Amino acid sequence: MKPVASPPHLSASEFHTACTTLVDSFNALRDTSTKQRWLDISFDPDENNLRISKELTVTRTSHQEHDPHDDPEIDDDDDERITSTANSTPLIHYDVLFSPSYSVPVLYFYVSDTLHRYPPTMDTLYLDIIAREYVDQTKDAGVLGGITVTDHPVLNQPVFFIHPCRTAEVMEASLGGREIPSFEYLLMWIGAMGKTVGLDVQIELVLMAKELIENT
Amino acid sequence: MDVTALLRERVWSASIPLEISLHTADCASYNAVPYLVHVPRLSYLAFLLPKLHAFFHTSLIYPSVLPTDAWLEYDHVPLKWHYPLGLLYDLYSGAEPASSHDASAEHAHVLSLDEGTPPWKLTLHFSNYPKDQLVQLDVQEKHIHDLFINNVKEADFLRNGTGKTVMSLSKEDSEQLWEGVKQRDFRRFARINNKFLNPQGATLRHIPMRLYLPHAASPQAEQLISPSNRVQEVGTDEKGVMTGSVRVVQGLVPLSSSSRQRQTVGTALHTLLPNLFRNTRGPCLIAAPVLHGAILPLDAGLEELIRTTTYVDGWLHIAFIML
Repeated sequence: MKPVASPPHLSASEFHTACTTLVDSFNALRDTSTKQRWLDISFDPDENNLRISKELTVTRTSHQEHDPHDDPEIDDDDDERITSTANSTPLIHYDVLFSPSYSVPVLYFYVSDTLHRYPPTMDTLYLDIIAREYVDQTKDAGVLGGITVTDHPVLNQPVFFIHPCRTAEVMEASLGGREIPSFEYLLMWIGAMGKTVGLDVQIELVLMAKELIENT
Repeated sequence: MDVTALLRERVWSASIPLEISLHTADCASYNAVPYLVHVPRLSYLAFLLPKLHAFFHTSLIYPSVLPTDAWLEYDHVPLKWHYPLGLLYDLYSGAEPASSHDASAEHAHVLSLDEGTPPWKLTLHFSNYPKDQLVQLDVQEKHIHDLFINNVKEADFLRNGTGKTVMSLSKEDSEQLWEGVKQRDFRRFARINNKFLNPQGATLRHIPMRLYLPHAASPQAEQLISPSNRVQEVGTDEKGVMTGSVRVVQGLVPLSSSSRQRQTVGTALHTLLPNLFRNTRGPCLIAAPVLHGAILPLDAGLEELIRTTTYVDGWLHIAFIML
């Protein structure tokens, strides 16, 4: 794989290549017995839209389904996470789109839930999506915070959005002058942008991708 | 006054009369008097919320609702807060746009046609906020400010290749820009906006333009607009497509095309919507681009347009009407 031509920026075709590699690796991993962290991943080349879906792990301790006798002070963060037991599990979709204006990937995300419990509001963001340890640092940036609610460019309805105006800067720092192929760029980008909002790549997927790349 | 400044000020002062009625489901009395107001095309409906709340307060079934519980709707379409009023009007009102054919004389005052225009009748709701369709605002107006600044940044990035002009604005300047927009103070706004349009030591590179295409009634027209035949998954009602849903198209449009030719509305539309605009000069037979209530001539130069007729966030928000 060729290195990214003009880092820290990505071109639409490099983005395309990186996304296809990620989708192929996911599908290859699905054929093994490894437990996947993501439910599904797909790439729509017409919209340049990579979609990663997983179950929403509810973090809200005051959630109505939570046992009122449970003392949140005693549990550590991981134990507090409860998976919704409602008849349909809410899904969180991460849509990674290519921004022609900024020449970087951009992250949009939202929860789809048949019971409409997680509308795109700041309450949902800070109570149900962002892990508690990241809430303060996320609130510090921008007028509202590093994450805001805006219209999804394809769906034309409000979803959460991480503004890309500093992405190139962040990627520049992460790259530290190294030349890397577009797929690694995408992994690094997910690492930088996704962490606070529950999107991360499991190591088995990275290893599978390496194997696929070496074999071609 | 030169033509550029004259046009800039014309666009700034153009306004639309609104007649806003409280929805019966939120109204305690049989018939509340509607709120009448002239709102500039470049302004945002979000700024009306405190006034609407105060005006209808005594007619409300639940007077404890907040101004931010309110939302406006036209013909079952919830109106997006971050779309400037002029764009909403051009997209949804169904008003016939002015075209150069109407110009009986050279001095056709396209923008002052407003005087005889009947008010656009909107419905105000204070309950059942459509959270899946509209961004929920806050009383401090932080959210609408954020949406505005995001657009300003992206426009700056497109024009100059960096977001430096916006990022390096002092806090005061940044506030002046927002206050200028809110208070409709042209001088305050223009002082900062001129910095964006004339960045030091840089030339303008790309045109901030967004195209808003209605989901067409006919499948054939829909195919021409949409790059894929995919049906939207979320936010759709039983019928498939959300009422008033639009498809937003944008791309990199250089100020001058590769052959060093002047970039016009026609050349840009040919690039961004090749299925609709098959060549750079001939008009499209099923859709027309509308900006500030007028059909855009395809030979209009884009650099002239961004210096005179952008919305306050620096963008040319162009609505399409189906012919």
